[in-house]
Amino acid sequence: MKHIVIVGGGSAGWLTAGILASKYLLAGSDPDAELGIQITLIESPDVPTVGVGEGTWPSMRTTLKDMGISETEFIRACDVSLKQGTRFEGWHTRSADHYYHPFSLPEGYHQTNLADWVAELMPDQTFENAVCAQALVCERGLSAKSITTPEYAFNLNYGYHLDAGKFAQFLRQHCTSKLGVDYVQDHVLSVNEDADGSIKSLLIEKGGQLAGDLFIDCTGFSAKLIHEHYQVPYKSLVGVLNNDSALAVQVPYREGQEIASATHSTAQESGWVWDIGLSSRRGIGYVYASEHSTDEQAYDVLNRYVSKNCGDALAKSIEPRRLSFSPKYLEKFWYKNCVAIGLSAGFVEPLEASALVLIETSAKAIVDLLPMGSKSLESAANRFNQKMDYHWLQIVDFLKLHYVLSERDEPYWRESRNPDSIPDSLTDYLNVWKYRSPWHQDAPRIDELFSSASFQFVLYGMGGQPSHTRHHFRSASSERQKAIGHLHDNRKRVEHWIKTLPTNRQFIEKVGMHGLQKI
Amino acid sequence: MSEHVLLNHHDHLDVKILSHHSPELEEKTNFTMVFPIEFRDIQSQYPIFFQKNTETGAFYPIALFGLEPGENLFLSDRGWDASYIPLMIQKQPFFIGLKHDESAEDGRSMVVTMDPSSPRISTVDGESLFNADGSATEFLNEKMSVLEHVHQGHEHSDEFVQALSEHSLLEQFVLELTMEDGSTNQMLGFYTVKEESVQALSGDVLADFSAKGFLMPLFMVLASHANVRALIQKKTGV
Repeated sequence: MKHIVIVGGGSAGWLTAGILASKYLLAGSDPDAELGIQITLIESPDVPTVGVGEGTWPSMRTTLKDMGISETEFIRACDVSLKQGTRFEGWHTRSADHYYHPFSLPEGYHQTNLADWVAELMPDQTFENAVCAQALVCERGLSAKSITTPEYAFNLNYGYHLDAGKFAQFLRQHCTSKLGVDYVQDHVLSVNEDADGSIKSLLIEKGGQLAGDLFIDCTGFSAKLIHEHYQVPYKSLVGVLNNDSALAVQVPYREGQEIASATHSTAQESGWVWDIGLSSRRGIGYVYASEHSTDEQAYDVLNRYVSKNCGDALAKSIEPRRLSFSPKYLEKFWYKNCVAIGLSAGFVEPLEASALVLIETSAKAIVDLLPMGSKSLESAANRFNQKMDYHWLQIVDFLKLHYVLSERDEPYWRESRNPDSIPDSLTDYLNVWKYRSPWHQDAPRIDELFSSASFQFVLYGMGGQPSHTRHHFRSASSERQKAIGHLHDNRKRVEHWIKTLPTNRQFIEKVGMHGLQKI
Repeated sequence: MSEHVLLNHHDHLDVKILSHHSPELEEKTNFTMVFPIEFRDIQSQYPIFFQKNTETGAFYPIALFGLEPGENLFLSDRGWDASYIPLMIQKQPFFIGLKHDESAEDGRSMVVTMDPSSPRISTVDGESLFNADGSATEFLNEKMSVLEHVHQGHEHSDEFVQALSEHSLLEQFVLELTMEDGSTNQMLGFYTVKEESVQALSGDVLADFSAKGFLMPLFMVLASHANVRALIQKKTGV
């Protein structure tokens, strides 16, 4: 393995380049040149990036830190604000009911399952507020940390909202100037195969043949290598997830307006609206099912949302960009010496911001599996495919969970919870969770994307407090005692953070002025 | 805190300042900001650590007076028991303000302000600020010279701390103390200089530090750590 070629330069390409280049010694830039490998990213100069993945998970903190990026510089360069989770409004019923899926775990989650005790011990509280401080912090527009908290450290767990276009540029700058990634701007014309069907080289317009040992397809929806060339088929999620269209706009803030501490997701008649507050602007979009809504109806929904949340004047002038997609993912993500990362690997609606975290997970899995001394990639490919397949199944189950618990009565919502559309794996979970709450064994892998806490937050956010009890277990009284302690700790934490944390906007402005310390 | 007032001989001719030290007159704190220019004197009495400014996150050096919040082991009804008192304590109740001034180089000039709510302000006892003819008393002149030092100390201190950060010489630490009665006391939010990192500095950096006047204060910080033991002794009386 001497040369890894990444094709495509959006968030997927540059994140992958950065993750790989910060792990491996690179030939040329490192003294141990013979051990090092070469990483080249080739990007067509005039292909626009899709640029809708603007919400990250907390994993992005570790990803950026490991790449040697200063969090201060990243926040300043990419119009970043801190994201503490997602606020869901109107998902359960058509009223303004809301709940949070926060990034912080319930108090004492490693030992005690508070979901078993909240109904008895805190019957007047919502689940999320009884067990976790984050929703209350977000409702007040507060930040996840203060200016004295070091880079990448947190008071409450957080990810980011970011400008995807600026992010790709920022990563490119870092990868080429600090990490030694070779950057080629050229068009890929065709693919040259070896005798065994592996990619030997790419014919590029100005540069001739670009040879390599591993080719990473980050070409977005066009999937030039994995699908266009290799014809690896996609598994369709049509019939499970109904959304296939989106209208997206960028909207400025009003003078002095707060920056939301979470992604807002507001259910609508035939879909839902995302609202992502960067430090410089908001990104708002309506994702919907074309079967239940015409583009005109969708425009009206988006317009109403913008008018209500950003003012009539702005709503009149919006010119949304329309995207259409088919929910799907690849049958094989790694085929021969070609790996798909990003939109080429698959796409579902941006409900839980799974796009960027899948890129991080994929690139890290390549580092984990890539056999440096061997010509045969088959076993690495098998392991990679099993892993990614598992993640996609989990993502689909988790997204679907948001829909099946809804009691909204529009045709779109009725169809979304039609039993025939629910994967068997999710049906089994739902049946088990009638009698006990989601717990660690429901998310058994060490590399799980969603912890069982995520299932708890959505399940009890949508459906109210759990109704089962634990009193038939011998351990009930000691568990109850521990639960009382943790619930008390959480109340203390809420009081403390509400008193001491700055608002999301104040925090971002301070980072702009003073920067964060490394320690 | 009430708004500071500009010091002048019209309004403050009759004002007197209580200049002694007592628990009633001092702010209840176990540390104060100090400046590298006074580290030589500080390290003879107090441990020097670093804290973060809660508004900016920037580090600044402090002298420690006590081992729990609000505790000052140097202060009693008999006064402040130390051969040197930090500039920030000496200057009380005065502050430096900046006034718009066309004639000054940067358009601003230094003025002296006072916290009118300070318990040090009296009209009966204490030191006068102005003579009958409106000129400053020797007492006020002394305070102004302290303020001048503080003003100069700030800039040098910021550069000093910046250099320490740049070369990753600071680290967080938790001061965990076991008291006589067996109870433990944790002090959080303090930073100190990493001795190993100082020893690993290259000759070029050391020469640069020396030229900028950072070398002496850096070693003064390390030397000051011995005073933690003295603080514990003061507290426990052992």
